[in-house]
Amino acid sequence: MEGLAEAVLGQTLTHMRDDEDRRAAEKRLVRDAQNGDLVAFERLYRDNERKVFALCLRMSSDAALAEELTQEVFVRAWRKLGSFRGESAFSSWLYPLTVNVALSERRSRRRRDARIFATDDPASLEKQPGAPRPEAGFDLQKAMATLPPGARAVFVLHDVEGRTHDEIAAMLNLATGTSKAQLFRARRLLREALGS
Amino acid sequence: MTCQELDDRLDDWVDGALPAAAAAEVEAHLLSCTLCRERERRLRQVLAHAAALPRSVAPARDLWPDIARRVSRERSWSWAAGGWNPLALAAAATVVVGLGAVLWTGPSPSRVRTVQIPTPTPQARLVAGTVGISDPVLAAAARDYEAAANVLLETLQQRRARIQPEDLASVEANLDVIDRALAEVRQALVKSPENPELSRMLVSTHRKKIEVLSRVVKLSTAL
Repeated sequence: MEGLAEAVLGQTLTHMRDDEDRRAAEKRLVRDAQNGDLVAFERLYRDNERKVFALCLRMSSDAALAEELTQEVFVRAWRKLGSFRGESAFSSWLYPLTVNVALSERRSRRRRDARIFATDDPASLEKQPGAPRPEAGFDLQKAMATLPPGARAVFVLHDVEGRTHDEIAAMLNLATGTSKAQLFRARRLLREALGS
Repeated sequence: MTCQELDDRLDDWVDGALPAAAAAEVEAHLLSCTLCRERERRLRQVLAHAAALPRSVAPARDLWPDIARRVSRERSWSWAAGGWNPLALAAAATVVVGLGAVLWTGPSPSRVRTVQIPTPTPQARLVAGTVGISDPVLAAAARDYEAAANVLLETLQQRRARIQPEDLASVEANLDVIDRALAEVRQALVKSPENPELSRMLVSTHRKKIEVLSRVVKLSTAL
């Protein structure tokens, strides 16, 4: 039993050291990128592109637009990198930036044209080996594309990304009650889509 | 409890956010109402689908080349407009900040009495700084660093009378070492243009040059 406890403790310490090493390595990359090192910035991009792209994809429901948004996020991140003080993980700093880029782009596009679902094969973006497929035939990504933008953004952040209403309210500059109301609306519309 | 009241509380119910008494009411209503049970089932299905969505998705194509091009274009525009580009500004600013506490620590050959800081010839230096670099982004970065170095060299030239000859000699010696290192890295890049380590070395050596120059400029300001 004692041996097991020691093994667990050793493993925990190893994980902690790994985390510290990762954070230290990321800090070095950020510092180098802040000094203009594009190679370091590319490493930061490679480490974060999938999460940023996934969030852009959920927010836009459009694979081609999500690619544009992802590029825009990293271009803006480069411009703003000087303001990053390294107090949090780089990905945490990038998160609200991604949300804001996705929302501002959506607002400007909404003025020009109605949002359409433009992914050739949306299902291909969702394939995740071993992931549960709760109800065959229901394409949530496609159903999300039909939601009003505000409701979709809150649904993505709350039910897909797991953010709290307080966090969402701060990021989207909303009252917490408005975030809850948008989520209620989104869930009700998606329930109806599931039943149709 | 009516079905409408249940509908209003369904979100909090599935999120586990209802107080015990309200939760008991919802539970009792669900036991007796088929329609509301179906509503609850659908909501849980939607949430199961949402939870199953991957939080990490690879784009279908590599987005970095476009990002690098845009960042590079912004830098070129900024420099062409006569201002500091973000890369050079960041490089210079970072090393200058906090230098008040840092003293020059390079070698000081006491026998050197007359030292010439190389007068920058901007165009020639910019061109020389990119020889052998085929990657346009890296070439743009090298150009930006050389441009930043030129500005610092010009400043240094104007203040050279304030600096001790020994220190000027140290600057010259350090710059000479750095310039030779840059030439070697550029030569290596001709042979291995895709080598990321060489790209990193080129950028870090340029940065070192800016750092050396910034230190002396800072010291000359304090004199």
